[in-house]
Amino acid sequence: MKIIINGMEIIAREGKTILEAAEQADIYIPTLCYVRGRKADNPCGLCIVEVEGHETPVRACDTKIQEGMSISTDSEVLKEQREERLSILAETHFGDCKAPCNLTCPGQINVQGYIAHVAKGEYEEALRLVMERNPFPFSVGRVCPRFCETRCRRLLIDEPVSINHLKRFVADWCMANKIDLKFSKGPSTGKKIAVIGGGPAGLTAAYFLTRKGHEVTVFEAEPELGGMLRYGLPEYKIPKEVLDYEINTILRLGINVRLSQKWGVDYTLQDLKDQGFAATLIAIGAPDDKPLEIPGSFLPGVIPASVFLRQVKMGEKLDFGRRAAVIGGNNIAMEVARSLVRTGVDEVTIIYPRAKLEMPANQRNIGEAEREDVQFQLMTTPVEISASKSGLDIELIRMKLGEPDKRGIRLPVAVPGSTLHLQVDTVVTSLGKAASNTGFAGGSLEDTLEITPAGNVKANPRTFLTNLDGIYAAGDVTSGPRTVIQTVVAARRSAENIHAEIMGLPKESEGRFNFTRGKSFDDVDLRNFDGVATKLREKMPERLSERAVQDFDEVKLGFSEKMARKEAERCLSCGCTAFDRCNLKDLCIAENINLKKTGMGKVPAYDRDSSHPAIVVDLNKCIFCQRCINSCEYEALDLSASGFDEKGRPIGISLRFNENCVSCGKCVDNCSTGALNKKEQIVPIVNEEFQKVPTTCPYCGTGCQLELNVKGNTLMEVTSDPDQLPNYGDICVKGRFGHSFISHPDRLTTPLVRRQKGGPLEPASWEEALDIVVGTFRCVLGDSGPDALAGLSSARCTVEENYAFQKFFRLRIGTNNVDHCARY
Amino acid sequence: MTGLVTMLGSGAMSNDIEGIADSDVMLVIGSNTTETHPVIGLRMQQAAKEHGARIIVADPRRIKLVDNACLWLNQKPGTDIALVNALCHVIVRDDLVDLDFIKERTENFEAFAASVAECTPEWAEKITGVPAADIEKAANIYGTADRAAIFYTMGITKHTCGTDNVRALANLALVTGNLGKRSAGLNPLRGQNNVQGASDMGCLPIFFPGYQRVDDDAARARFEELWGGPLPSKPGLTATEMTQAMIEGRIEALWIMGENPVISDPNSNHARKALENVNFLVVQDIFLTETAELADVVLPAAVFAEKEGTFTNTERRVQRVRQALQPPKGALDDLTIIQLISSRMDYGQELIPYHSLPGRQRNLTAKAEEVFNEISQAWPALAGINYRRLENSGIQWPCPSADHPGTSILFEDGFPIGRAGFMPVSWKGSEELPDAEYPFILTTGRVLYQYHTGTMTRRSKVLETADQGPFIEINPSDAEALHIEDGVQVRVISRRGKIMLPARVTSGISPGVTFIPFHYKEAAANLLTNDALDPISKIPEAKVCAIRIEAAATGS
Repeated sequence: MKIIINGMEIIAREGKTILEAAEQADIYIPTLCYVRGRKADNPCGLCIVEVEGHETPVRACDTKIQEGMSISTDSEVLKEQREERLSILAETHFGDCKAPCNLTCPGQINVQGYIAHVAKGEYEEALRLVMERNPFPFSVGRVCPRFCETRCRRLLIDEPVSINHLKRFVADWCMANKIDLKFSKGPSTGKKIAVIGGGPAGLTAAYFLTRKGHEVTVFEAEPELGGMLRYGLPEYKIPKEVLDYEINTILRLGINVRLSQKWGVDYTLQDLKDQGFAATLIAIGAPDDKPLEIPGSFLPGVIPASVFLRQVKMGEKLDFGRRAAVIGGNNIAMEVARSLVRTGVDEVTIIYPRAKLEMPANQRNIGEAEREDVQFQLMTTPVEISASKSGLDIELIRMKLGEPDKRGIRLPVAVPGSTLHLQVDTVVTSLGKAASNTGFAGGSLEDTLEITPAGNVKANPRTFLTNLDGIYAAGDVTSGPRTVIQTVVAARRSAENIHAEIMGLPKESEGRFNFTRGKSFDDVDLRNFDGVATKLREKMPERLSERAVQDFDEVKLGFSEKMARKEAERCLSCGCTAFDRCNLKDLCIAENINLKKTGMGKVPAYDRDSSHPAIVVDLNKCIFCQRCINSCEYEALDLSASGFDEKGRPIGISLRFNENCVSCGKCVDNCSTGALNKKEQIVPIVNEEFQKVPTTCPYCGTGCQLELNVKGNTLMEVTSDPDQLPNYGDICVKGRFGHSFISHPDRLTTPLVRRQKGGPLEPASWEEALDIVVGTFRCVLGDSGPDALAGLSSARCTVEENYAFQKFFRLRIGTNNVDHCARY
Repeated sequence: MTGLVTMLGSGAMSNDIEGIADSDVMLVIGSNTTETHPVIGLRMQQAAKEHGARIIVADPRRIKLVDNACLWLNQKPGTDIALVNALCHVIVRDDLVDLDFIKERTENFEAFAASVAECTPEWAEKITGVPAADIEKAANIYGTADRAAIFYTMGITKHTCGTDNVRALANLALVTGNLGKRSAGLNPLRGQNNVQGASDMGCLPIFFPGYQRVDDDAARARFEELWGGPLPSKPGLTATEMTQAMIEGRIEALWIMGENPVISDPNSNHARKALENVNFLVVQDIFLTETAELADVVLPAAVFAEKEGTFTNTERRVQRVRQALQPPKGALDDLTIIQLISSRMDYGQELIPYHSLPGRQRNLTAKAEEVFNEISQAWPALAGINYRRLENSGIQWPCPSADHPGTSILFEDGFPIGRAGFMPVSWKGSEELPDAEYPFILTTGRVLYQYHTGTMTRRSKVLETADQGPFIEINPSDAEALHIEDGVQVRVISRRGKIMLPARVTSGISPGVTFIPFHYKEAAANLLTNDALDPISKIPEAKVCAIRIEAAATGS
């Protein structure tokens, strides 16, 4: 039968519905309730189409095609009606797409995902997930200010999950266990890219560009890579061997490195262009200290923070005297003060013109300095430094908060006549940093590179392009000092953009669409947490301060595996584990639904139900599409609603699995939202790539075809292709859920041998084990002949393995003593 | 399988899964299909519901499939031949036979007809416990159907008379002409993923790959040429014979790849004794199984998701297995292990020829695909199959050439041995029957949520949560007589062993009969079962033995 859809002529069999005919012809008609071969009792109403000759749109799912029918699927009228209908469904839906931690993380890392991996003991996969977006998990796991934890909803019950400690745990665990994550360079693009600066920004960009297949060369002015992580953060924060391991992991991708190459001295931007680099990224960070502009700032013994930290890091034996002052209240100042304590200075004082709470440093870092007896001279500012008999004399003046200015900000002002003096041996200044205090030099391009008044390189915040063609800049060099994670994010985005631009690809953008149970804590109804028991966070083991200040060894010791598991189990799993398959979300995005306008549910109406052995039900997300019951082959679900409101939304939904249920999980795959979830699949797949590997089920002899959904080296879930012989998408509970044995800790990972009769089985090398096997086989063969040997093969092993096994016994041993246990 | 090869020329499932939808009648005997082969069970249920197929279940338990059946023949365990011969009796008596088929494609019908002349439904009722009227009805339903299929599993084969059980069913299919056509046939359902493939590949003491006998000089000469070396002509020992040979010291070294006979073998105390007795035991597995614990060397292997290869399913469909994951560090796939041992046994000799790929690091072993290519030379039924053809979908053997689509239905164009031969069989009782000391029959089987000895399923959380653990099914009248309530612990004792487990009191099982699933090492049914052998196939009688039951609290 011939019909026309959107002007296209299509041949379809009589008796088909419009929806079926369109599906066959690969024409997309939106629907949330359609299950192949079944009829919906409560149609979602989204599949409406216009049929020539009909005044009002009809539903494609229950209208049969007729010869010559002319159908339109995407007119404005249809769009409007669909939008209206979708808005109502969206209001019915109550849940979060992404978790607040994920949304708050500047790196947009799938935080809930890696926590869930930790909870399942999949540490390698957790790290791989972090490193999808952040190649510095060791460093960030040690120094991150933890934006994510500030929004963790667990705070509404007791304390946020110690997310950052978990990140550090998985990184350290993989290092300790020598795990190779097997990230690899993408297929070569043939493009060369130069990165100036081998700190967190430069290496991050190099990492992502190399994974895209570009040939990247990093130019580093220092003799070693790492930038601020190496020369700006003391070893008690990031130990050298940890940083080396982290950087080596990145370099293993295949990144070219040129050390001790100073930009403007050893090469210029023009040189890089001439050498054929398709793009250059400036990622030098903010190396220049802002000067202390008071008399005496150039006296010996007055040292800028970065010079001081570098000296300390290089292990130079320097005498900073008995007393020292640190001028400034930023994070670097805290590390300077703590380093001074460790070099043997008795009294370290931080001078800052406002209160402690107003310091730009992270409160956690301030607390750590306080614990190590660093003194704070607050509400004062230095006026002059002069040399005195015993060292340096700092003249200070007291400050108070002035009248509010136009914006309501009360700037500190000096209190006249309140001068005081501080006698010290060393002054370290930490007043902020910039890309360059003096501008760049070396060539004509350097001369014309545009700089902001603050001394940073000016770059477009979206494209990262500077005023020069093909020259990009990202990280602290454009912003001044920020956190490591912010630098990593900027560098990653710049890499994505450079890749898109030099390859002429459209830029990938991440949608902001998100259902939420409440954007801020105030919006979140506490009933969401009914039944969640209080469980305080695991405490990070630390060295005692008295001992810690004696050396530069790491202060925080890291979670044990047990602590990490326990901590990960505290996660409330706010984000939806159906993120990657939610049709409601996808349709809302496709139809441009604005949730602010349409509104979302605000309070939970149903308790989560975990009573099923394999499936968790969250009816708050249910839109009553009924695909679960329509797809069930066993009539195993009882789904009902006590009524419908004036907009047609279901009220009082009830879903029960009856005794027919065989836990095959098909309803979950068919759920249009995250109302049904697989109990073991607690890791949301947000943007990560995963593979579907088709294979054959290892259980009974039916030979069902499975799709193993694999991320990294972890089996996420098992699905089945409805078009594939012999099972056409139907699988049983074992085929669906019977695979966690694969990653069970009982798996044998080393040969075992019994070195003497009656003795224990002991681990051995493959060499030793194989030698014993072969040696004994030879002995028996020589002494008693081939028929004294026998082999039992397995119906679980492959055809090829069974073939090789019997061939071995027949050809190499010379016996037909070979059988398998299930030949009946 | 042994039963069918002599009668029909092939022991595999004759038909395909897809044909179930169009069956008119299905006789499901000795197969709890919805639990052991859930998707095939589903197809049967759908055929009944959606296409009006009529299902006859013959089983000592009221299995789930009875819900969809038109008739349940509640037979006593070990009485299959009596039941099937009575069905044949009625079919011959009432002239429901397919005479054209018998004339053109079979032989020995007269002798067979004579052999069932005495097997009246009334005679069978006394043995099987199935009312004669139901036997009449079943024979009529099966005998008048256009397309009638028989499905069976271990409930038929795991008996001392297992071979004869299968022959009886083959007689039934032959007499009604239900072979060589769609949606009919004789369909043994394989219990494990690659039973078919392991058998096809000659992991059998009398057959080379492709069921070519080791004592057939021509066949052996072909393999000697293909493999390039002399081969033994003397048939080897079957698994159960090996057990005895180990106890007697005739076998000194045993290599077990991926099996757990300590739990899976009937009379497993005996199996354990044999494995403890053998001088040198190598076990290759993914876990330290009960069997591996007895080994002298344990070799860590890879699971299905960590390797390449093929499995051949119950309907003879060769399908790809693809590597999705890396094996844990330290474990190797079985194919590599076999080749490593072989190359050490015989320096410089490769077990399977392989082609070193330039520039790529690899163990010096053949890849699965290279092995498969050799297999397709070894057995003409696979000659037309290669990995490229298997890329999108599996192919059913025989597939003799590259342009052959594969064979969904066997015997359409005749039997490999020319005419199929009827083989009269007569019923005899099981080896061990109830008596005063051991008054109950025990039969064993599987449950949906577990698989075999549980090494995989019991380490999968969802399955362990969904499953209720070991139990013994017992009829309410028996339970009452023994003062046993549902859920209480009982001690179950046979001549060979005893176990403790909870009672499940259910009218789904006949008085005098009990059932225990064999998956559980904490209550291993095979400590109780009998290892008496079928004289032909050497399959042990796991499905019938005599036991007694005691309430655990009353002491032994």
